[in-house]
Amino acid sequence: MPKIEVPENIFYELLGKRMTDDELLDIFPVAKAELDGHDTEGHVIKIELNDTNRPDLWSAAGVARALKTYQSGKIPSYGFFSTKDDEKPSDGRIVIDDESAIGIRDYSIGFAAKGRTVDDELLVNLIQSQEKLCTNFGRKRKTIAMGIYRSELIKYPVHYAAVDPDSTKFVPLGMTEELSLREICEKHPKGRDYGHIVSSFPRFPYLYDDNGDTLSFPPVINSARIGAVEVGDSDFFIEVSGPILDDLLLAVSILACDMADMGFEILPVKARFAKDTPYGREITVPYYFQKPMSASLDLVHQKLGEDLSENECIEALARMGVHASAKDGMITVEVPEYRNDFLHGVDIVEDIMIGHGLGNFEPVMPADFTIGRLSPQEEFSRKVKGILVGLGFQEMMYNYLGSKREYIDNMHVSGDEAVFIANPMSENYEVIRPSVLPCLLESESVSGHAVYPHNIFEIGKITVKDPSDNSGTRTVDSLGFFSSNAAVGYNDAASYINTLMYFLRKEYTLAEAKDDPRFIPGRAAEIIYKGEKVGVFGETHPQVLESWGCSMPSIMAEIDLDKLMA
Amino acid sequence: MDIDVKNLHPLEVKLLRFVKPGEDITEESIISGLGYKVGQCNQAFSWLSAKGCLEEVSRTKKTIYEMTDTGRSMKEEGLPAERIYSFLGENGPHTMPEIAEALSLEKSDVGSAFGLLSSKGALKLNEERKAEKAGDLPEEIKVQRAVLDRAAASGSLEEGELSAEERKAIAPLAKKRGASSSPFRIQEREVVVYRLTSAGEETRSAVIEANITGEEFGVLTPQMIQTGSWKNGSFRPYGINAPTSRLIPGRRNAYSEYLQWVKDKLIALGFEEFDGPLVENEFWNGDALFMPQFHSARDIHDVYYVKDPVHAKEIEEPWLSQVAATHENGWNTGSRGWGYAFDHEFTRRQVLRSQGTVLSAHQLTKAHIPGKYFGVVRCFRYDQVDATHGADFYQTEGIVIGKDVNLKNLLGLLKMFAEEIAGAEEVKYVPGYFPFTEPSIEVHIKHPVLGWFELGGSGIFRPEVTEPLGIKEPVLAWGLGIDRMALMHLGLNDLRELFTPDIESVRTRRGN
Repeated sequence: MPKIEVPENIFYELLGKRMTDDELLDIFPVAKAELDGHDTEGHVIKIELNDTNRPDLWSAAGVARALKTYQSGKIPSYGFFSTKDDEKPSDGRIVIDDESAIGIRDYSIGFAAKGRTVDDELLVNLIQSQEKLCTNFGRKRKTIAMGIYRSELIKYPVHYAAVDPDSTKFVPLGMTEELSLREICEKHPKGRDYGHIVSSFPRFPYLYDDNGDTLSFPPVINSARIGAVEVGDSDFFIEVSGPILDDLLLAVSILACDMADMGFEILPVKARFAKDTPYGREITVPYYFQKPMSASLDLVHQKLGEDLSENECIEALARMGVHASAKDGMITVEVPEYRNDFLHGVDIVEDIMIGHGLGNFEPVMPADFTIGRLSPQEEFSRKVKGILVGLGFQEMMYNYLGSKREYIDNMHVSGDEAVFIANPMSENYEVIRPSVLPCLLESESVSGHAVYPHNIFEIGKITVKDPSDNSGTRTVDSLGFFSSNAAVGYNDAASYINTLMYFLRKEYTLAEAKDDPRFIPGRAAEIIYKGEKVGVFGETHPQVLESWGCSMPSIMAEIDLDKLMA
Repeated sequence: MDIDVKNLHPLEVKLLRFVKPGEDITEESIISGLGYKVGQCNQAFSWLSAKGCLEEVSRTKKTIYEMTDTGRSMKEEGLPAERIYSFLGENGPHTMPEIAEALSLEKSDVGSAFGLLSSKGALKLNEERKAEKAGDLPEEIKVQRAVLDRAAASGSLEEGELSAEERKAIAPLAKKRGASSSPFRIQEREVVVYRLTSAGEETRSAVIEANITGEEFGVLTPQMIQTGSWKNGSFRPYGINAPTSRLIPGRRNAYSEYLQWVKDKLIALGFEEFDGPLVENEFWNGDALFMPQFHSARDIHDVYYVKDPVHAKEIEEPWLSQVAATHENGWNTGSRGWGYAFDHEFTRRQVLRSQGTVLSAHQLTKAHIPGKYFGVVRCFRYDQVDATHGADFYQTEGIVIGKDVNLKNLLGLLKMFAEEIAGAEEVKYVPGYFPFTEPSIEVHIKHPVLGWFELGGSGIFRPEVTEPLGIKEPVLAWGLGIDRMALMHLGLNDLRELFTPDIESVRTRRGN
């Protein structure tokens, strides 16, 4: 979930008033926001945003806009958006995308802003908004990278192309010497973080102005001159690059609206593409690209269980900042410039729900009669647990992930049937347990202080390879039990098994368990049920006990309950 | 009086009944009067003193000559000197070895006795080097004899009772410790004199009044029942607050019992349980839930991938085609879809189940309508393990399918969970976000102990989730975060403790 930290006065300024924390707590849910904390000394409000499909809410301006609109019912309007038929003047400002970038990082678009001198707080806040968009929405700059530049140093047109990474050089932000693009990937901290996004291509994206001065090496780093925005600047050029045009348009729209809310004048910039797009070869940015979306009143009624009128729906949507109209039982919305999360009519329904006020819906129990039922495995497990508890065993519960050392090496088994993780976080959690027995032995190894005998068991899942299954694996409901004491032996294990099987009404036979290194040879048996091996038990081999650092003799057993139930 | 006379031990009872107020009470008086063994006597003194019934009046050191077994047989058979003297008197002169042989005495004992007797002129060696009688038995031996005889009556003699002559005579017969070959063992003993305190007098009266004799039956034996002897007396009441011994029972795991309780609650509310394998594929783990394949939660750093086999063999149709089309263009769900090219290889990639909702998706393909389903299932999250994050953990999830289920039913359902499972005092709903539900609701509850917290997330499955899996009806989906309540229930504050391998800790753990 995105989290932002907003200077109090910026937030209150955007809201148009001061609000207490209690008031914020009350109203925040309409933006799916949570008050994560309020540092009253540093004057910073911390906000967590829960909607990962609403990047417009991941900034102070976005949250403030949602709250203000909800309270006032007035939908904000932004006059600087161009459409296909209504192009705003760009006064010679233009970004030209070169075809060399196609297939690498297809598009670069941008806009300019002026009219407010940024101070420390505003600059930090602006950079935070930019970072949230690039990191969370832009998947760590993979699909969206954004640069903010000093507009007065730029000579339009700005050019976007893919260039030779070795011969193209400039001084990157944060450094004083000129480096090639490839060197930046190796030496600059941002290069090491983000260089991998483009480093496999023969040519790297590059943004420069008509004088040949570098703006940036997207998605990695700005130049140290045009790309070095500082406190006191008031004229900016904002550029966004990436492979998915709609994502870029949305990111631009969000930032443009945010900056307009902060008091900037937004200056459109023309984008000339190197390939055909759904919006043509040339558009003026910010550009309104969203299409209207509809939901039938029936859908609204069906989902919400409340027969809201057309007007109630339209009013509710207005509180969510959404223009809507109704005709012939259809609610049609004009998607706000800074949003693109209406995929289906149900997305309109949710906005109506929030706008109408969740508190205005009465909880009602579902009326359908249904029969409650445990799974057959759970019922059978409970029966088995009852018998084992009666036999004096303590039920245990374990994690399912562990290390190769515990699950395999300490058991002296091959591990061929164990299912390993391809991307383990640490070697402590690298394999799903192929048996309950190592878990029981771990208990023994850490419980020397506990009064003997140790009689423990678990019923839980294990996973083993099984080529016949679609997944090549099989998850088994498995019973393992373990008993350690100075005098315990094979006969005890056999007696436990016999008692368990008697009360489960399962007829079984035994076969000698050969070549199972976990048990003492000649003192282990396989349990055969309906002609198939369903389990094994016997005296724990001292080599296994030694590996676990245990010194008490023990017996152990494991049974496949799924097979035994069958 | 704060002493419950029923809790007195028979040794205490009998002592109290035996002694009189104001009289001196000593070990000797109790042993001779009640036939206690020394140990029993000491126990009775110590218990009654601790209860404030007895007080110590004086304490004096005494030296006691305690007769040993050797001493007792010497008393019967005679001192070696006596025996030699009378043997020679009756049988005439004999050599030392002959004497030792005839009287079964050690040669050294015969030697030292002869030395004593000859020095006092009672015996002498003749020309044949045989011992023979020469005078009367010395006075010292007679005194020793008298001391032996006196000691035999009580088993011991106190030094203060002996004359100077007797003390001199007994000295060679006594040793300080061990030496059972000596007739006497010297014991330094403190003689303690007790007297009843006023509390002791009250207790004594109470014992008499309650008619407790100390002769009541202790353990009831099979013989007592068979012979009916129990009818001839009464049973000693036991101290009901005596310390108990530790038992280690066979027992359920407290966390597992809590999960069972949750399951039983859900069964009672009409839900049917589902379950599934731990290894899933990207199709069910994410695609079927309409999470776009580029969704940040599906990153390599958020899901555990299976090393081998990397891919499932196939994804079931028609689900695969329908879900793929929904992602790409909405299929015929009325959605515009995510607008990207669905990756048919990625979708077969195998992962460890990362969310319980996966099983809800599976259930959609086999659900009855109307239907209510739930699962308490293990999930895996790519997280650093700490007090609030486990590598694997349980999620409690479910769905409700019905022709007419809607938001208001969802709220009703959440209210029911809040009250029935969490014991909530107040319930608050706020809009939430999940990729697979729209609208989405979070339910926050005011718990009597934990205060306000988020109990769960829920929503109505998006048509992009249900329709490609063959369900036209609305489906309510919900998940409950029960681990916090489980921790509270078990008095824990670290999630890792739920799966502890420590046997002692599990044995002693209990729910609230």
